[in-house]
Amino acid sequence: MSYVTIDQVTKGYENQVVLNNISITLKKGEFATLLGQSGCGKSTLLRSIAGLEGVDAGRILIDGIDITNLSPRQREVGMVFQSYALFPNMSVFDNIAYGLKMKKVKNIKSRVKKIIEMVDLIGKEESYPHQLSGGQQQRVALARALVMEPKVLLLDEPLSALDAKIRKSLQKELKRIQKELDITTIFVTHDQEEAMTMSDRIFVMNNGQVVQSGSPSEVYTSPVNTFVAKFIGNYNVYDMEVFRKIVRNRELKGTEVAIRPEVLQLVSVGEDSLDLQENWGIKGFIKDVSMTGNVLRYEVETEESAFHVDYLHHRGKMFEQGALVHILVPKKECIIL
Amino acid sequence: MKASLTFHKLMVGLLVIYLLIPLVGTLLFSIAGKWDHTILPESYTMKWYIELFQDERFYDAFRRTLFLIVMSVGLSVVIMLPTIFIITVYFSKWEGFLQAAAMLPYGIPPIVGAVGLIKVYSDGPIQIAGTPWILIGAYFITILPFMYQGIRNSLRTVNAVQLVDAAELLGATKFQAFRTVVFPNIISGILVSTLLSVALLFSEFAFANLLVGGRFETIQIYLADKLNSSGHLTSAIVITYYSMILLLTGTVLKLSFRKEKNPVVSNKNRILSLFKKQYRHKNTALEGEK
Ligand SMILES: Nc1ncnc2c1ncn2[C@@H]1O[C@H](COP(=O)(O)OP(=O)(O)O)[C@@H](O)[C@H]1O
Ligand SMILES: [Mg+2]
Repeated sequence: MSYVTIDQVTKGYENQVVLNNISITLKKGEFATLLGQSGCGKSTLLRSIAGLEGVDAGRILIDGIDITNLSPRQREVGMVFQSYALFPNMSVFDNIAYGLKMKKVKNIKSRVKKIIEMVDLIGKEESYPHQLSGGQQQRVALARALVMEPKVLLLDEPLSALDAKIRKSLQKELKRIQKELDITTIFVTHDQEEAMTMSDRIFVMNNGQVVQSGSPSEVYTSPVNTFVAKFIGNYNVYDMEVFRKIVRNRELKGTEVAIRPEVLQLVSVGEDSLDLQENWGIKGFIKDVSMTGNVLRYEVETEESAFHVDYLHHRGKMFEQGALVHILVPKKECIIL
Repeated sequence: MKASLTFHKLMVGLLVIYLLIPLVGTLLFSIAGKWDHTILPESYTMKWYIELFQDERFYDAFRRTLFLIVMSVGLSVVIMLPTIFIITVYFSKWEGFLQAAAMLPYGIPPIVGAVGLIKVYSDGPIQIAGTPWILIGAYFITILPFMYQGIRNSLRTVNAVQLVDAAELLGATKFQAFRTVVFPNIISGILVSTLLSVALLFSEFAFANLLVGGRFETIQIYLADKLNSSGHLTSAIVITYYSMILLLTGTVLKLSFRKEKNPVVSNKNRILSLFKKQYRHKNTALEGEK
């Protein structure tokens, strides 16, 4: 039984289709991520779920109730905006208590206190938003949504305005809180790494459509098309015509082939032990080496094309720029698209 | 670094002198007894002020001007604030139209406007030509561009649309959202354009003279009338109403900083921090100590 159902939702502005027949279902307590490039319609979808935008066609259900035509305040969803949208005239405490006051619930104080503890803002109750750091403001925005105990929590790129270090720690914390409250969450990001680390399920979006959905490892290891392959995994993607020439094999079918950079192996030319049963061997030279933290990325130029190859950065062994190498391409790791 | 700072100070100083000289001249003239061949007056007297403050006409004119200003500025806030809010938040398509409408008054010279207004309102269903009401209408239009810009910019600055979105998701109605999160955050911005409008209307002469003239003597018409009798007296009037505006500005600013503890403290801090930013290079030591 699905808890959130988005059923063939379509929406356009003037002459542009922004959401094109989107269907998504989520289980209760699931952490789902909408992943896609800027402008692909992620925010619009989120705002449609929140009721801040109407849809042209389709239905949205939460917990069995059709909320498509309800106003935002009737939907029981919480949202954290990219720019937080904290109320500048209110203290942290009043920001968080705002929704409870509007609903006129009892024991506001204790509920706000509890949530302030949870997001680790003790001591900041009387501060105003402009006196807080970006990370703290983000926590207030989160607390303000969570204190209402919404059925679904919507997060629109909540971490993208923060610097890398704070971002990493907030990712962990957000995940911890989400698990602790077991709250169904839809998270929006354009950062594939962030999507991978946080999600139970990823919905990859492109041009207003969901192009692939699945667990992070499913999406990563078996992309359904070139877009996902390039966007998610930094895959090497080749036109099949070109790839047939590269590996000198006319029998291969399909239109394109995608190969993850970390399954490729480099062997210095002259070393003999090439396993050409399981692999294709391609001659080339190291055109460039770059380092992103623990990963070494080689740009290898071959006669017909170029590959990028990722290696974990071990001490010692490293190919120099200009070195002649064989690239070993494992046959079963080539994903035919 | 040092040299350029001195240069800046010099420029600002010159500008201040340039702006203040006419005012200082007026002030001196208003308290001058005999002032013919010297740089500074030869003798001083308060008699122009005494004469002014004993004139019932002055008080009446002042009261009338105040009435006109309060009515037109008040009306403008009451009508424009909800209108602009509703249009920016819910009908953003129409914003361009509203903006064009608000800028129209710039295009019409007061004389043309006045003649047109008199023509329209001297007969027909609404006969208010020659009454203060037509002047209030004209003033409403005069300050429209300022009020429009001020209110719209305030709404933009605080990102009113998103604040309303957030408040609505937390269970507020649109009206509650406006009252609790939009209004408190734009009030200081609106006060600025209100003040600007008040100052503008204080010195408005063309419409007042053409539309109602002597039938409803405003401070400017009184001033124009006195211009013929004594320069000293007119100087005293000018200084008096400058002081009034100064007092008004000061009070409103002070009020906007103090009223209620919370929002305004934060406003004040925000403005202070703006100043601090500009002078950070100067008092890093002070900041470090905190
Ligand atoms: N209010 C609007 N009016 C017209 N077009 C809009 C509006 N909001 C968003 N769009 C368009 O819809 C598309 C998707 O926007 P958005 O959902 O914000 O993308 P994302 O969040 O994925 O970056 C963009 O091309 C954007 O220009
Ligand atoms: Mg977005």
